[in-house]
Amino acid sequence: MQINFGGREIALKLVYYGPALSGKTTNLRSLHELTSDKSRGRLMTLETKDDRTLFFDMLPLTLRAESDRPGGGMSMRIKIFTVPGQVLHASTRRLVLQGADGVAFIADSQICETEHNAASFLDLRQNLKDLGLNLKALPLVIQFNKRDLEKVRSDDELGQLASKGREPVFKASAVHGKGVIETFFGLLHLTWSKLDGEHQLAKMLGIDPRALLPMAARQLGLQQDVTTLLSSCVGGRLDRHAQVAP
Amino acid sequence: MNEAAPHVAVEDLLLDGRLRLEDLVDREGLDELCKSFVALFGIPVRIYSSDGGLLADASGDQHEICAYVNTLAAGRRACAGTVGAVKARDPSDTGDVVHPCFTGAQYRILALDYDGRRVGRLIVGPFLPPQVTEAPATLRAIDPGLDGDRAQALLLKMPRAKAQTVTRIAAHLKGALDLILFSGHKSFVTSKIHVASVRESYRQLEDKAARLQEAFDRLKELDHLKSNFLATVSHELRTPLTSIIGYSEMLAEGLAGEMTPDQLGFVKTIQEKGGQLLSLIMSLLDLGKLESGTLRLAARTVTVESVLNEVLSTLTPTARKKGVKLVLDLGTNIADVRGDPERLRQVFLNLVENAIKFTPPDGSITLRSRMAGDGPGEEDGLTLLAPTRSRVEIRVLDTGIGIPVRERTRVFDAFYQVDSSSTREYGGTGLGLSIVRRLVEEHGGTIAIEDNEPQGTVFVVSLPALVDAPQAS
Repeated sequence: MQINFGGREIALKLVYYGPALSGKTTNLRSLHELTSDKSRGRLMTLETKDDRTLFFDMLPLTLRAESDRPGGGMSMRIKIFTVPGQVLHASTRRLVLQGADGVAFIADSQICETEHNAASFLDLRQNLKDLGLNLKALPLVIQFNKRDLEKVRSDDELGQLASKGREPVFKASAVHGKGVIETFFGLLHLTWSKLDGEHQLAKMLGIDPRALLPMAARQLGLQQDVTTLLSSCVGGRLDRHAQVAP
Repeated sequence: MNEAAPHVAVEDLLLDGRLRLEDLVDREGLDELCKSFVALFGIPVRIYSSDGGLLADASGDQHEICAYVNTLAAGRRACAGTVGAVKARDPSDTGDVVHPCFTGAQYRILALDYDGRRVGRLIVGPFLPPQVTEAPATLRAIDPGLDGDRAQALLLKMPRAKAQTVTRIAAHLKGALDLILFSGHKSFVTSKIHVASVRESYRQLEDKAARLQEAFDRLKELDHLKSNFLATVSHELRTPLTSIIGYSEMLAEGLAGEMTPDQLGFVKTIQEKGGQLLSLIMSLLDLGKLESGTLRLAARTVTVESVLNEVLSTLTPTARKKGVKLVLDLGTNIADVRGDPERLRQVFLNLVENAIKFTPPDGSITLRSRMAGDGPGEEDGLTLLAPTRSRVEIRVLDTGIGIPVRERTRVFDAFYQVDSSSTREYGGTGLGLSIVRRLVEEHGGTIAIEDNEPQGTVFVVSLPALVDAPQAS
C-alpha cells in the first residue's frame, strides 16, 4: 500500500494469481465489463500471445471517499494485476507480486487441473517467501473458476474442501461474469479490514470503516448489496483480518 | 533459500502519478492532430502540459477581427490580457470552463485527464457563439480609434460554434488523445517490464551460477583431498608389504632353513599374492599422483623402438604361456619422442598385458609404430604448421573379444570394468587403462580405441614427435 498525503491518495495493489489458463485475465475483463466506467480505467493488457498473458494485465479502479469534511475526502486507487501463469515467466510473476496487499488465487475447477492448482499455489508461497512476505499475514481468497465446464469438482466436494481451509472460497464462471464481483469484494473486504486495522485508513479517508465496501459497490455501479456478495463465500473465514481491528 | 527481492516494483514501471503528456506523445504528431481539427472545424486548438508548457498550437491564421483589434494600441493590450488570462485559467474540478473575450467571442478551457490525473489542458477558441449577432459594447469601447461598423463586419466573419458542438469536438479530440496516451503508456510499460523481467531472470541465474561455482570449488577441494588420501594410504600400505614379500622371499630361498615342499608352496603363494597386492598399490599410488598432478616425468629423448622391444621381450613368456603370438611391426623413419622411458614402457606393458588377457589362444597381438601428420586442410599456413604437428602413432592390435562402441570412452575411467558382475571372467582392478590414459596425456599425447577387423581391439597411442632431428654428436 502506498499513501500519498499530498495527492490525497491511498493506492492498493491486488494480485490475481493462479496456474496458466485458469482465467485470471478473464476475471479482469469481466470486472471491467461489470463495473461503471466512472470508477474504472482502461484495462491494460501487456503482450499476449495465443491467448496467454506474457507480462501482466492491469485494471485500475478509483474510489472517492464520500466525505463531509472540508475539501472532500481522499481517494483510493485500486490496481488489480494478473500474473502470467506459465511456469517459464517466474521472474515476471515475482516482479508483479512484489508489494501486493492482497491476492486472489484463481484455481481451475476441472479435476484434471488439480495438480496445476497445487503447484501454482506452492509457487505463490515460494515467491512470497523470496520476497520476504508471509502468506499467513496476506489477505488471500480462492476462486474456483470454470464452474460451467463439465468434469469439474462438484459443489459438495468443493464445500467439503473449503470447510477445511482458512481461506474464503468463491465459485465462479468468469467467462459468464459469474462470481467475479463476489471474489473481488471478498478480497477487498479482507484487504481493507487488515490495512484499516494496521493504518486506520477509514479515519484517513474520513469514512466509517464499515462504509467502504457499500461505497465501493455504489461507485462501481453494482446492483447487488455487499452482504449478498460476501455471503456467496463458502468455507474459510472472511473476518479473520477484521478481528485485528482495534 | 531466501533470495533477494527484485530491484524494481511493477508500480514504478507504471509511473503512477509521474506520467507526463510530453513524455508519451510525439509533439509533431500532436501538432498534426490539432491541425486536422482546425481544418475540419475552423476553430483554433492549443494543448498545454500540466505545468503550462505549450505542446501543440494549431491556431491557424489570426481571425480578421483579432488582426484589426491588434492594430490599435488599447486593443492590443486588451487582447494580450485576454490571451494571458485564458492561458492561466484552471479548468477547475468540473474540467470544463468558458472564458469570454471582450469581442463577444469565447474560449473553452478543458482538462486533459489520464488515469484519473490531470496531465494537461486543451484550449479551444476563440469562436463566436450563435447568439452574438452584433459587436458588443465591450468591443466598441475598447479603443477610441475603433471603427464600430468595420469591427462588427469582421467579427461576424469569425467561425461560429454552438456550445454543444464545441463539447463534441473537444470530447472527440480528448478521446483521440486518451487513446494515444494509453497506447504510448502501454508500449512504455511493456518495454520496461521486458527489461525488468530479463534483469530479474539474469539476477536469478547469476545467483544460481554463484552457488554452483561454490559447490564446484568445494568438490574440487574434496577431489584433491581424496587424491592426497589415496597417495598417503598407498604409501603406508606399501611399507609393511615390502617386508612381507622380502621375508617370504628369504624363507623360500631357505635362509631360515630347509622347508618341506608344502611349506615352500605356501610361501611361494604368499610371495606371489604379495606381488599382486604390491602392483595394485603401485597403481593406486600412480593414480593418486596423476590425479593430484604430483607425478614427475623424468623426460628425455626416447626411441620408440627400444621401448617396444623391451615390452616385447618382457611379455613374450606370458604370451607364449597363453598361446598368443606377439608381433612387432616397426615403420620406417619413426621420429623419437620426448618422455619418461619408464612411464612409456608402463603404458605399453599395460596395453599389451591387457591384450594378452582378452585374446584367446592362437590369437595374435601386433605392436605397430607409424608416423602420422595432419592431412591436407584449409587452415592458413598449414605448410608451416604441419611439420610441428607430426606425431608418432603406436597401435596395439589384438584379435580378442573387442570393446563395444559405447564402452570405448568409459574404459578409461578409474575403476571402470566393462563387465562389472561379481562372476566376471577377467580379473583386474579397472585402474590400468585409467593410468595409461593419464600417463599418455602427461606426455601430451592421446589414446583412442578402434576396431580390429574382423575382430579385436586396436588401442592407438599418439605421441607428439620430436621435430628437431637428433643432433649428431
